[in-house]
Amino acid sequence: MNQTTTYRESAPGRPVSRPASPPPGRPRRGNRREWPGAVFITPHMLALGLFMLVPTVYAVYDSLQTTQLIGGTHYSGLANYSTVLHSPEFWDGVRRVLVFTAIQVPLTIAIAFFFAAVFDAGIVKYSRFFRTVFFMPFAVPGVVAAVMWSFLLLPDFGPYAKLMQDIGLGHVDFFSSRLIVPTIVVIVIWEWTGYNVTILYTSLKSIPQHVTEAAVMDGARLGTIILRLKLPMVRPTITMLVFLNTVGALQLFTEPSILAAFQPQAVSYGFTPSLYVYNTSVGSGDYNLGAAAAVVLALIIGAISLAAFAVRRRSGEFR
Amino acid sequence: MRSPIKSRQERAAARGPADTVPIHLYGLRRGTVTVLTLISGAFAVFILAPVLWLVINATKTQANVYGTPGFWFARPFHLFQNLSALGRNVSGAGIYLQWLGNTLVYAGSAAVGATVLSAMAGYGFARFRFRGANGLFYLVMSTLLVPITSVALPLFLVYAKVGLVNSVWGMILPSMVSPVGIYLMRTYIDASVPRDLIDAARMDGASETRIFLRIVLPLTVPGLVTVLLLTVVAVWNNYFLPLIIFSRNGLYPLTVGLSSLSHAAETGSKAELVPVLIAGGLVTILPLILLFLFLEKYFRGGALQGSTTG
Repeated sequence: MNQTTTYRESAPGRPVSRPASPPPGRPRRGNRREWPGAVFITPHMLALGLFMLVPTVYAVYDSLQTTQLIGGTHYSGLANYSTVLHSPEFWDGVRRVLVFTAIQVPLTIAIAFFFAAVFDAGIVKYSRFFRTVFFMPFAVPGVVAAVMWSFLLLPDFGPYAKLMQDIGLGHVDFFSSRLIVPTIVVIVIWEWTGYNVTILYTSLKSIPQHVTEAAVMDGARLGTIILRLKLPMVRPTITMLVFLNTVGALQLFTEPSILAAFQPQAVSYGFTPSLYVYNTSVGSGDYNLGAAAAVVLALIIGAISLAAFAVRRRSGEFR
Repeated sequence: MRSPIKSRQERAAARGPADTVPIHLYGLRRGTVTVLTLISGAFAVFILAPVLWLVINATKTQANVYGTPGFWFARPFHLFQNLSALGRNVSGAGIYLQWLGNTLVYAGSAAVGATVLSAMAGYGFARFRFRGANGLFYLVMSTLLVPITSVALPLFLVYAKVGLVNSVWGMILPSMVSPVGIYLMRTYIDASVPRDLIDAARMDGASETRIFLRIVLPLTVPGLVTVLLLTVVAVWNNYFLPLIIFSRNGLYPLTVGLSSLSHAAETGSKAELVPVLIAGGLVTILPLILLFLFLEKYFRGGALQGSTTG
């Protein structure tokens, strides 16, 4: 944020006669010119409060209650949390999304960086066409993507299973307990790689051309330029993508929930923590327990984000 | 964060291939370009294959979806029967066309709302330094990291208390909260609305409302379009929130409708639901893909701004 502010403060063409603006973060009180800003942000802050903050607080409150068929709702302390934390189903899901995230996020970003870098260097023909095609799944809802892949990967009948047989890999069941996580990784890579390519490509394009030229003049090889020069320059963008992809991956829900329609045996009750939340609350009607699970999931994701944030800050990368 | 104002060189570099370093200077081995183009081509096949499969299989009967090669057409040509089934309640789970209408209403109104709220808030954050502005901006940005799944269920719990379950407003209003939209609008206004213009208008006695409507909005049209499109896509593709808050199938958007159709196709005994599901999937993605192909620069505009978040 700081550089933007610096730019504003030193913007050319500002009348000299105006008194110096107060430093950012320490606004002058009662300044006649600044209060409309608060009015402009009010509608959004109101929506944010009503539809995010209030529900979150209410969910915490709800997770501390227990509803019984006979006897109604009463305060039960941390009982629901104890149930969630002692549920093997829940931890099974947590372990699975952690494994999923550890595979999917680095893989997606590595593939995306590879394509963004070669497109940026101009060493691929028809790269404009490829960029458009790669980005297209962004317009495909996860539900539709999961439906398509459910049929493409169908054991025995599906075209991909037949392909596996034709190239001599024998009978492959993409929905077996051993392959289900890699299968979902493939589906999510299909969905999100192009989005990551687009963001990385734009970021790489903003590196001044003379930097690359100077390296070429010094005799650096293309691989060296990409990995040693450009990669460090787009690291902030990569960090942001790691955050966004990780938060998305930890919430994995749509793909397994649709796969469950076609391959019920492959996706269990607590396949991911989000499925656990859905199945306990909407599925089984235990909303108090579901709220507790949602809070635990939010805390896990928050803790991982904070840890990553702290590491990043210590390594001096945080702006 | 990089400043949104780029140097002339950076802007030139962003303009395109004409400005990249001539590739013969890299001293690449012969064939490198061909190999990399083939790798990109292979990935393009991986991306396009499912969409092609969807197009082909929307024209088949259920027996042919399972019984004939997935990547080639088969007789009888059943596309129009499959499409017309979208207007009827074939599964007992609801009518596809109604879901399409609902999705248009939800995506359209949420996108307009999100754009208005984001433009106002983006302007407020970009051009005013009121008390608490920084803290509130960080609060807005931190909601980017809040898991959707842990907000959807709490929303449902609150809706159950205030009677918003099975209400269209329960879907539309929360979709208007867009931290990305605010970030984009703030960056965009910083870059394209000169302070002096606003000050000059104030000197002339223009009201704050008038300045916003007559000066700020017209100067930020491309940014507004980007926010509008990104919100349309986000709401069009949203699954978890409508799944939790709607129990009446007449209110479902496409995603939840298709999901219930999937369950009916797989578990129900009613015949011929799979091709309807496939045709429905095709009709769901076509509007967005067309929107995206024709307005690609606005989508990329969003991604461009997004790249400065780091």
